[in-house]
This record gives sequence, C-alpha cells and structure tokens, in this order.
Amino acid sequence: MEKYDVAIIGGGSAGLAALKRLSTLGKQAVLFEAGEKIGSKNISGGILYSKKPKNGKTHNVEDIYENFLTDRPYERKITKYVLHATSKDKIFSIDLTAAHEYEANFGCSVLMSKLNQWFLQQAQETAEKQGGGVVSGVHVKDIRWEEGQTIVQTNELEEVAAKAIIAADGVNSEIAYMTGARQKFSPNQLYQGVKVVVKLPEEIMNERFSIGEDEGAAHLFAGDVTMDHIGGGFLYTNRDTLSVGAVYHLDSLLETPVEPYELVNTLLRNPMISDLIRDEVPVRGEIDKNLAKEEQMRIRFAVTKIIKTWTEMREAYYSKGERERLVREGKYSAPEEMEAQLSSIRDQMSTKYGMKFETDYVEAEYSAKLVPDGKRCRMEKPYFKNILFAGDAAGRGIFVGPRIEGLNVGIDDAVRAADAVARALDKNNFDENYLGQYYSQSVEESPYTHDLKSIDKDYLKIFLDAAKDVPKDIINSKYGMVVKMMSSKTLRNFAVGFANILGYEKILPIIETVETYVRVPTELAERLGKSVSSSYTPTIPSIAQRVAKLKFNDDSVSHIKVLKPTSEFMKKMTVLCPTRCYLMEKNGVMIQHEGCVECGTCAEETEWSHPRGEKGINYQFG
Amino acid sequence: MDPVNVAVIVKMEPDFSEGNVSYNPDGTLNRAETKNILGPHSAIAVNAAFYAKIKHGAKISICTMGPPVAESMLQHSQLMSDADELYLYSDRIFAGADTLATAEVLKSGILKMQGKMDIVFSGHRASDGETGQTGPQTAWKLGMTFLGNVIDYEIDPESRTIRVKRLVRLQGIYDVVEEVEAPLPVFIAIDPSYKPKFNTVSQRLAYEKYQKEARQRSQDFKQYLKVLNAAQIEADPKLIGISGSPTIVYKVERIPKGKATRQAEIIDGSDQEQIRRIVAKMRQSLSTMVIK
Repeated sequence: MEKYDVAIIGGGSAGLAALKRLSTLGKQAVLFEAGEKIGSKNISGGILYSKKPKNGKTHNVEDIYENFLTDRPYERKITKYVLHATSKDKIFSIDLTAAHEYEANFGCSVLMSKLNQWFLQQAQETAEKQGGGVVSGVHVKDIRWEEGQTIVQTNELEEVAAKAIIAADGVNSEIAYMTGARQKFSPNQLYQGVKVVVKLPEEIMNERFSIGEDEGAAHLFAGDVTMDHIGGGFLYTNRDTLSVGAVYHLDSLLETPVEPYELVNTLLRNPMISDLIRDEVPVRGEIDKNLAKEEQMRIRFAVTKIIKTWTEMREAYYSKGERERLVREGKYSAPEEMEAQLSSIRDQMSTKYGMKFETDYVEAEYSAKLVPDGKRCRMEKPYFKNILFAGDAAGRGIFVGPRIEGLNVGIDDAVRAADAVARALDKNNFDENYLGQYYSQSVEESPYTHDLKSIDKDYLKIFLDAAKDVPKDIINSKYGMVVKMMSSKTLRNFAVGFANILGYEKILPIIETVETYVRVPTELAERLGKSVSSSYTPTIPSIAQRVAKLKFNDDSVSHIKVLKPTSEFMKKMTVLCPTRCYLMEKNGVMIQHEGCVECGTCAEETEWSHPRGEKGINYQFG
Repeated sequence: MDPVNVAVIVKMEPDFSEGNVSYNPDGTLNRAETKNILGPHSAIAVNAAFYAKIKHGAKISICTMGPPVAESMLQHSQLMSDADELYLYSDRIFAGADTLATAEVLKSGILKMQGKMDIVFSGHRASDGETGQTGPQTAWKLGMTFLGNVIDYEIDPESRTIRVKRLVRLQGIYDVVEEVEAPLPVFIAIDPSYKPKFNTVSQRLAYEKYQKEARQRSQDFKQYLKVLNAAQIEADPKLIGISGSPTIVYKVERIPKGKATRQAEIIDGSDQEQIRRIVAKMRQSLSTMVIK
C-alpha cells in the first residue's frame, strides 16, 4: 500500500489552502477531489474577503498565496455595497459600503472554477516538491483505522495510508457522516442558495454600474423579492459576468415551499435588476423550410458560427485588456479595425441571415448550493480521531445581517488545520489530545469563531448609521424600541452586552424573521422608495432549459436513494429541489432525472453521497 | 533496462463540430473556412502513448505528414502527451498521396527518428478519409507486428514484451476481448473505446506532473519540432506523393437517401402530459413486437 503523510479530502478553496500551507511547511500531502477537475463542483455567491480584525488574526488569502494580488485570479474588488429594500416597483437603497469595508483589507467577487484553478496551480507546485500533489476525479468512499494506520478507500484508486486527514469536503461532508463526527445539518441550520451567472461585456458593465476597471459593485435585495421568505437576493459584478442569486433559510422555504428558481426569477424580473443585466442579443431568423434539408442544415451551422464569432469578438472588443492583447499580438492593427469588423459582422447577420437584435439578457449558468449557518451549526469540536474538519464541512459560514462570508473562513480554518497537522507530524503524535484538541482550540481562538458567537457592537453601529435616514416610525413598535435603543451609544453597548450574555442563539429568532427580511423592507420601499421601471421583459429560461445547459458526466449508478417516499419532507422536495429532480408519483416521491447539481437540499431524508469520481455536475463558472 | 521508445502517427482533420465546420452551397466541405484540428482518433492514439510515459517514463515522438499549418496540431498533441519530439514531414511532392504513399513517408520518417521504436501508435481511422489503411500499411512497411483494435495494453520493459487486449469480432459475435502477448517492437492501432486507467495515487501524481510539463513544453513547442522534407527523410521519390499512389478516385457520388418508411410524430415539450403520450406510444409499438 502506498503511504502519504497527509490526505486532504476535497479540492475547494479550504482544501487547497491546507495543501498549500502544509507543503510550504515542508510536509507531504495528497489532495483528493471528486470532480473531474479542480473547481468543477464548487459554487459560491460569492465574495472572498481579506480581514484585519481588531482582536486576533485571520489567515488571509494573500498570506497563503503571495501572488494573489498581482495575478488577480479574482473578478473585481468590490468597492460599492448597497442594500436595496424592494416593493413591487419601488426601491429604497441604503449604502452599506462602510459595513463591507469594516475590518476588511478588501473583498472581491470570485467565480470558483477560475479561482480554484489558480489556487491549484499555486498549491500543486509546492506540493510536488514534497512528493505530494492533487488527484482529481477520485471520490473517497471510506476511511478506516487498522493496525495503527488510517486507510483511505476510494472508488477509483488503490487504497492509501495517511497519518492525518483534513476533511474539507463541503457542507454535505460525507467524511463527517461516515465517521459520525457530526449529524447531517438540519434545515434550520442551513441556507439554500441558487445563482445564475449572466454575461455582460466588461466595459458595458463598467459604464452601467459606474465602476472603474478594478472596481466592483455588490447589491443586496430584501423585501418584496423574497416572496415572504427569510433571506434575500444578491447581484455581484464579476469581470465580464454578473452573479445574481437568492439565498434563503431552508426551514423558511420548507414552511412555505416555493421553487428556488422562482426566487431567482423574481429577482431577474425586478425592474431594477432587469435593467442592470440587459444586453444586446441576436435572435435567429426563420430558415426557409422549403429549402433542401442539407441547405437548411448548412444555414443553421453558418448561423451558429457567426453568432459565436460575433459574441467572442464583442466580448474582446469591450475589454481593455483583451483589445490591447489582440493588437499587441498583431491580430488587429488598431481597436478601430476591430470595431469596423464587428459592425460588418453585425450587418451580415441581419442582411444575410435575417437576424434581429433584441434587448434581453444572456444567462450562462444556473447553480445551487447549501450554505451552513455557522451561528447555528458550527462544529464545536471540529475533529474526529486524526481527522480535522475545515470550512463548510465543519459548518462554518458567517451570516450576520448583510455580512456574508464563507470562503475566507474556510481558508482560515484550513491554515489552522495544516499548522496543527504539521505540528503533529513533527512530534509523530496524532492523538486526539494532541492533534484534534490543539486544532479545536486554534479554531476557537479565530476571530471568525468570535463573530459566530457574539454580536460586534461596532459593526452594528456602522450598520445603524447607514440606516439612520430611515424614519423610526416606519418600524413597528416591537422594532422601534430596539432601533431607538440601538441609536444611543450607552444603551447600545448595554443591549449588545446583554444580548451576548443571553446567548446569540436565543436572540436569533427575534432578529431573523419575516418581519425584518420582508415586511419592514417592503414598507420602506413603498413609503420612501424611488419608482423603477425596465424597458423590456427578460426572457427567462425554464428550469428544463437551464438544466439542459449544464454539463453533466452521467453516472449509471444513482448517488441518491429516497428513503421515505411518502414523507412530508420529500413531498416538499418536489418543489424545493433546485433542478426539479423529484416528481410525485402514485407510490410517493421518485427521482425523475439525474440532472442533480449535488446541492444536498434533499440530503436530510435521503441516502445521499457525492457521485463517483469525475461523475455528476461539472460547473464552468462556479 | 532500456527506456521505452514510442512513436505516434497522427493526422490533421477538419473540425466537424457545429459552429466550426462550414459547407459550400453544393454540400462539399469548405476547407478554407473550416478549422483544422488533431483528428479525434489520432487524439486517442496520443493518449495511449501518454500512458506509456506515465507508467514507464517512455520517450514519445509524434509525427505527421502535412502542410506547414499542421504544426499547431502537433503542438496540441504535445500538450496532450508531453511529447519529447515532434516531426512534421512537409514537402510539395507529398501532395496527392493516398494511404500507401502516406505510409511510405511515415515509415521513412520513423526510421529516421532517434533510436529504435518499441511501439508505434496510430488511430483507428481518420474521420475525413475513414479508410483505416494508413496505420496497417505503415506497420507493414516497417515490418512490425500489427495489433489492431487495441483497448488496453501493458508493457513489460524487462522481458521486452507487451500484452494487449483487442476488441474483435469472432465467429459472428461482436465485442469479444482477445488477449495477445507479443515481443516488442509492435505497431498498435488503438481502438476508439480505449481509455487509460491509472490505479494508484503515485501514477495519478505522475500524470499531473507530466501534464504540467506538457503545458510548459507546448508553449515552446518549436524547440521540440523538426520540419523535414522528402530528401531529409530519404524517402524514395517513386513511392511518395501522387506518383506513389496507386489509388484512383474515379468519381465521388452522394449516397442516395432512402425513402423514409417510418411515420414519425413529433411530440413537443417535456411536461407530464407529453411524456405520458410518449410512453403510451412506446408501449403501443412494443406490444406488437416479438422479442426473441
């Protein structure tokens, strides 16, 4: 049997950070990733932060990867952060940029496929020097302890032995279930996030959002668009795409089920968002059915080709970097030449092929993921024997009002796990008391854990300052009191102190309610908001079309088994599964197709595992 | 133990995928507008050679006969296999070659490569010509043992032998797997269903390592590329190009389309009602069918 010092399970941003850190410390580690390639199963909203807390230290992305700020594998630095309260056709906006910048070096929008590929590049190089590396398309199915060895069993490769394991296998951590390190998260501990990636050429985006080349905007939405659920919507600017998504508490969705994609569609239909995502879209003309079959096919192929050429060229033309690159490489003599060619292609499209250009939006990818609500579900002891859990696998996501952080928490955890493992390797001691407890304590000292346990009154003040224009009488008596109290410094300190003594968990049900997420914002928008309208109605693809567009590597073996086909929970899954995998049949709920994006929404009452290596969903953006 | 030496013969072919291919109004291929790529069957052969590199650190040489533009396809092959040497046999007198004359050029080129080849790989056939002759003919000219339809192989570098699995048709039964052992050197035409398997973590790590090296090498591929003409590979002028091609293409005819005898009904939509209709139709047709 082959032996390695450390096995890391899961090639997301946490797993990769662990690999990078361990190899930098001169340790040998092998990372197992089930996806066909690194990043193919990762999804984030998402914004990645780098923090500078008042107390304690976080391990930031640029500390682990020294080229992060020069290579810029992220999309854009977010420089505008705005919360919008929505009603049917009105919007009231509150600028929260100060809250976004609070204790932060920066926060940048990211797409996981690209970002994790870059992390891989950086980590792999150092890992190889230590005799380790990354194997993708390999799914870990079991871990067992035998004669002093920890043996990792996969579906694809021969078994290997490892001295310690870092489990970074995400919110639906199979390692956690199979070892019994923790239970599956329950719906009240989870959010369900659904996102679409929308294409928009770079410079058109700059102009529309009034942002510079390395600036970005984040917009959050509450109120009417929530369809009466606890949570909200978001829109982030990437380099030449937008991430538009909806994140809702799973128990709130279970209470009044609504199709997750409808929540995204409601956002897309909101006039303000419709207008932000609009673009010029070519529409195919009718092909004369009287022509010979071959001729019809020839035209169809030619149209596909010209649309592709036009789209690619337009994307390049509206990107400063790409324009300069193409001129530098001698493809065009000057940007004007590109412009001329672009308009000549456009002419050809309309005259030769009878195509029209309409205002609409271009959706590139639909995705879904569960997000752990760290306040409610973080593992207090994130270890089991010689396995350490990091990031989503340990249930560590931060959701505090408009503050949403997960990636940076995972990276911080991973570094702490790597340090603990390196220390254990040095002493050749992998005892729970030596390895696990040390890690657990290190995680407990993390500023992020602090944020998961108590309210930060300085953060609260920034938030309240931003909302100071909101008339107090708008908030009904229950909250009016709280707001009034929070506006005074002494009272605020007292109240926050009191709340923290009482315990975060106890006050959460008061803060996270339909009242705060839906009614108050809707009323705000109605009374104070500006009217918004859109010049067009977006053509939103059906869920079948969205699933058809995703790339799957089909598996002949199903990775999900329905356990209780007639349970209330499963009945709700026919609505809540983001890709509509379930259908109500005579004998109960059945899987109707395997277009599963592995979000885990149904995991509570199913036998759920990730598909075998390379199989399943293969995200292009992430 | 001598290192394993492998060569691959590859072909540049038009990219037939939608969005890349262009046809003339008369239905023939518009070559000027269509992109050229590494043929899909050649790509499988390149993959098979890469397997020898990962398992035994084999040295890989990839060659093709074609116009100067074919060098970008060789670059792509190098990206796939971390090839150590690339050869492009390019000469105006190669023009008009049929499979036999092409095999002559490839044979002459392979004989000129550094060191003796242990294995030469070729694809199953080309996706434009579809003859499947160039591989066997090159093997014959090289005087090598020919193994066709290979779906799996293992080299024993010590005894200098190879064990291969071939997907063959035997006494009218399709998909019979035949296992053959042969002394090296051999010529392998790889089957389209070939898929390399790596069973251990160390092999997978080697795979990643060579892939990374391949990315670096292929960025600088010209350093590994030799462009050779007929004189340089010492090919017999009588046996190459149009004069070495006994094939005469007399006429190309369209395959006439048979009249449709089926009566298709298009059921549009994916809602429950439409799916029920499809299932009902399937039931109906199956009920009249006798399954033996």
